[in-house]
Amino acid sequence: MKKFDYLFLNKLLVLLFGGVMSVQVPADTWYDDIAVHGFATQDFFHTSDNNVYGESDDGISPGLTEIGLNLSYQPFDRLNLSVQGLYRRAGKVDGGVVRLDYGIADLNLLRLENGRVGIRGGRVKIPFGLYNETRDVAFTNPTIILPQGIYFDRSRSLLVSADGGSLYADYSTEYGYIGFKFNLGMPLGDNEEILSTILGPSATGKFEANPAFATQLNYELNGGEYVFAVSYMDLKLDYKPSANDFIGAGNTKIRPLLFSAQYNGEKFGLTAEYLYRWNYYSDYEVMPDFNFVSESWYVQGSYRFLPKLQGIVRYDAFSSNIDDRSGNRLEANGLPSHMAYAKDWMAGLRWDITSSWMVRAEYHRVHGTAWLAHSDNLDSSATKQDWDLYALQLSYRF
Amino acid sequence: MKAIVFIIFLCNTFMSVTYATDIIVNPSVPEYTVSLNKTRAIFTMRQRFWTNGEKIKVFTLADDHPIHQLFTKNNLHMFPHQLRRVWDRIVFSGIGRVPIVVGSEEEMLETIANTPNAIGYLSSEFKNEKVRLFISK
Repeated sequence: MKKFDYLFLNKLLVLLFGGVMSVQVPADTWYDDIAVHGFATQDFFHTSDNNVYGESDDGISPGLTEIGLNLSYQPFDRLNLSVQGLYRRAGKVDGGVVRLDYGIADLNLLRLENGRVGIRGGRVKIPFGLYNETRDVAFTNPTIILPQGIYFDRSRSLLVSADGGSLYADYSTEYGYIGFKFNLGMPLGDNEEILSTILGPSATGKFEANPAFATQLNYELNGGEYVFAVSYMDLKLDYKPSANDFIGAGNTKIRPLLFSAQYNGEKFGLTAEYLYRWNYYSDYEVMPDFNFVSESWYVQGSYRFLPKLQGIVRYDAFSSNIDDRSGNRLEANGLPSHMAYAKDWMAGLRWDITSSWMVRAEYHRVHGTAWLAHSDNLDSSATKQDWDLYALQLSYRF
Repeated sequence: MKAIVFIIFLCNTFMSVTYATDIIVNPSVPEYTVSLNKTRAIFTMRQRFWTNGEKIKVFTLADDHPIHQLFTKNNLHMFPHQLRRVWDRIVFSGIGRVPIVVGSEEEMLETIANTPNAIGYLSSEFKNEKVRLFISK
């Protein structure tokens, strides 16, 4: 039986590829339909107070390493298969494991003269704002640390990719390019950092994600000189308490709405995003139902002094509850009021040494601690409201 | 006389810097005139098939190659970093393919000439009957 399979496979391969090979065109053999790409990034952090990506306070932490390798294969014109493995080590939040970042079968359903419609199934990246789908690839990010009020690193596992499917459509016209995505799937987030972010450090149970949807509409003008996008997500997490858990069962819904706009000129670039996020805490045995709204926005300007040297400046603000911007309610509960907000001024310099190597450095002056990771700052009463962050990054891609 | 020689020298220098670039295709590609918008869709990998249904094979030079920079400005009216942004999103979110990078203009010419359904670009000095000019209006 095995031998038969082998022979059959051989015949099939000859049938599929024999025709092509007999033409004797070296640039058109079957393996040309395979493409491999990858990246590797190492970051270093130093902070005046508070820890980011390991013990950065009064020291230097090499706590963030990201290595990715992807492969894509097109067996038929209408079908593209792609897979990416990601190794990530991030302070005490992520100990360093290899995960399947995406694994996608992309089927083109409809081919129009100026557009296309298709579906993607498997583990699909979540479209959210300008940077989320490639958030772990340093080359595609404007800065070492993305604006944390929108692209939270500590709750990233909810945002990275989901197991399910995506319907997509895009269309190019004289008046620009329009793209649409609707993703439905199971987010991968059930880690402790999300739990402590949502329910506080004393929660001992587990979060279980429900199927969630994420959708994005984007519009690009003049080959991407102007980019506009609207993204929306609907996430629901069920809390499963542990034995003797005082919190009891309940659920939390998170619904972020994000507006994005970007100008990409020859030398000058300007980017802004605004996030409005509804949060619902329902059916928890220990507390009455309550809702609140989080808000974040940033404005970022960049300038290319030389084709390979770029300077960048950004202001980023986040309020975890717009009815308690100064954190009085947190203080009443015995937590530092500065956990309610974070305002971050940053400036950085990026040097693309070659098209494969890039190095950059940046400085942040942060007021507030809303996006600090709990795992790196176990005692929140010891965190400081005003702090400095220095970061250095070296990245390679192919 | 010296002034004239100097002017000729200046013209020569200037011309050698600002040479034009042409989009070229393999002769198997159907002949038709396309809009700037369609040409951009081909190089941003959004248009994947020729009018005869064959899959488009896109080839480019490296981002920092001077001819690549001239091509993006002259023929696509874009900047290299705009193309890079689109390609990176495709590669690192797993939603398709990006152009194959060739090492030199000589390699570009050979590849386009020998690969059915291929499209690429060259400086206008590189004329060769094995490839055809692609007309983008």
